[in-house]
This record gives sequence, C-alpha cells and structure tokens, in this order.
Amino acid sequence: MNAMSPRGSGSAHRGLGEWLLQRLSALYLAGFTVWLVAWLAIAAPADYVAWKAWMAAGGVRLAFALFFLNVLVHSWVGMRSVFLDYLKPLWVRFVVQLLLAFGLLALAFWAAQILLVEARV
Amino acid sequence: MPDKHYKRPKNLDLLRIRLPIGGIVSILHRVTGVVLVLALPLVFLLLQQSLRSPESFAQVVALLSSLPARVLLLGITIMLAHHFLAGVRHLLLDLDVGISRRGGWLGAWLVLAGVAGVALIAAGCLFL
Repeated sequence: MNAMSPRGSGSAHRGLGEWLLQRLSALYLAGFTVWLVAWLAIAAPADYVAWKAWMAAGGVRLAFALFFLNVLVHSWVGMRSVFLDYLKPLWVRFVVQLLLAFGLLALAFWAAQILLVEARV
Repeated sequence: MPDKHYKRPKNLDLLRIRLPIGGIVSILHRVTGVVLVLALPLVFLLLQQSLRSPESFAQVVALLSSLPARVLLLGITIMLAHHFLAGVRHLLLDLDVGISRRGGWLGAWLVLAGVAGVALIAAGCLFL
C-alpha cells in the first residue's frame, strides 16, 4: 500500500499503537496496584483459607487476569523501547527480543495455569 | 558532500554531562522497569505457591518473614513506588501538566519525596 514510505519497512504506523498501549496498560496497572495495596492495608487475609477464598472470587480472578494481560503487554512495549535504544547490532537486538517474547509467552501460560488451577477452589 | 570523518560532538563524557533532576527520575523509571520485569517470575512463583496448599502457603509465609526476603521486599517496593510515581509523572507530562522548566523540576522532586515516603512506610511495616 505504502511501499515508498520514508521508513521503507512499512512500520511507520506502529509507534502510535505501542505508545497508546503503554499508557492504557499503565492506567490499569496503577489502578490495580492501588486497589491491591488498599485491600492488603484494610483487610489482609488472616490465613490460607481466607486468602484462597478471596482469590477464588470471580471478580478478583478477573482483576488478576486483566493484571497479567496488562503487565505482559506493558513489559513487552517497555523492554522493547529499552532494547531499541541500547542494543545496536541488529542481530543482538533480534535475539534478545526473541528471548523476551518467549519469556513473556511462558509467563502468560504460567498466569493462565495459576488462574485456572491454583486460584480456583 | 557529507564528510565521513567529520567528528561530531558525542558528549559521552559522563563526568561532563550534568543530568537535570527530571532526567535522573526518568532514567530511574527505565532501570526500575527492567528490574521489575526480571522480578515477575518470582512474583508468579510466590503467588502460585501461596495458593497451592496450606503447607506451601505456610512455606511462603515463612520464606517472606526471613530477613533477606524482607530486605528484598523493601527493595522491590521502593522500585515499584518509583516506577509508579515516575510513570504518573510521565502521564501528566503527556497531558501538558508540569511541563514547564519549574514544573518539571518540582514534579521530579515530588516523585522522589513520594518514593522516600513509601520507603519509610514499607520499612516500618517490614522491620518494626
């Protein structure tokens, strides 16, 4: 479509999306953090049973699911912008970003496991 | 015609660059972000083990009560507080809040003051 774009690689439009994703995920993470800290300050669970029951509640698990999603997106965009600034040889950046992608994907599966197995009664 | 051998000023002499306070707060936002990402697997592991069984929950509680773990928790809390507050500052800068020279200076010091406050409260909770 835009083969003659100045960047040449056709990725000139991606920046805005990542910029927005970073800020939207930041808003969720900030709200989640405040909510979690407030809950811990007001009503920290006394024992395993209380902790497990709280985590098993549908709303709480949904909030944690969204936290996992947002924290992984936020990590990807943030780490990528750090790599873009400091990792200059292209192949080094490629390898490190690939490792990051696999690492975050593994964390995503791990998060699903926690939500679907350990966090359920 | 561009001269390949023209020596552009690079200014990488770290002793000559004096980063303004806003720049220090900003670079720390990056550093804390990277460290927090590296800490994610630990958080996932602790969350999973705390939910798995009453025995593993007791193990997590015992582990987190140890002195080295409390020092580590304090460090992570301070880095999270910095990343959080400096991030809020960046969001406000996007909205043109605190964008002036004086506003930038004040915002950066407010972030550092907030981090110091959180650090004191966290240290009190963890060690008193």
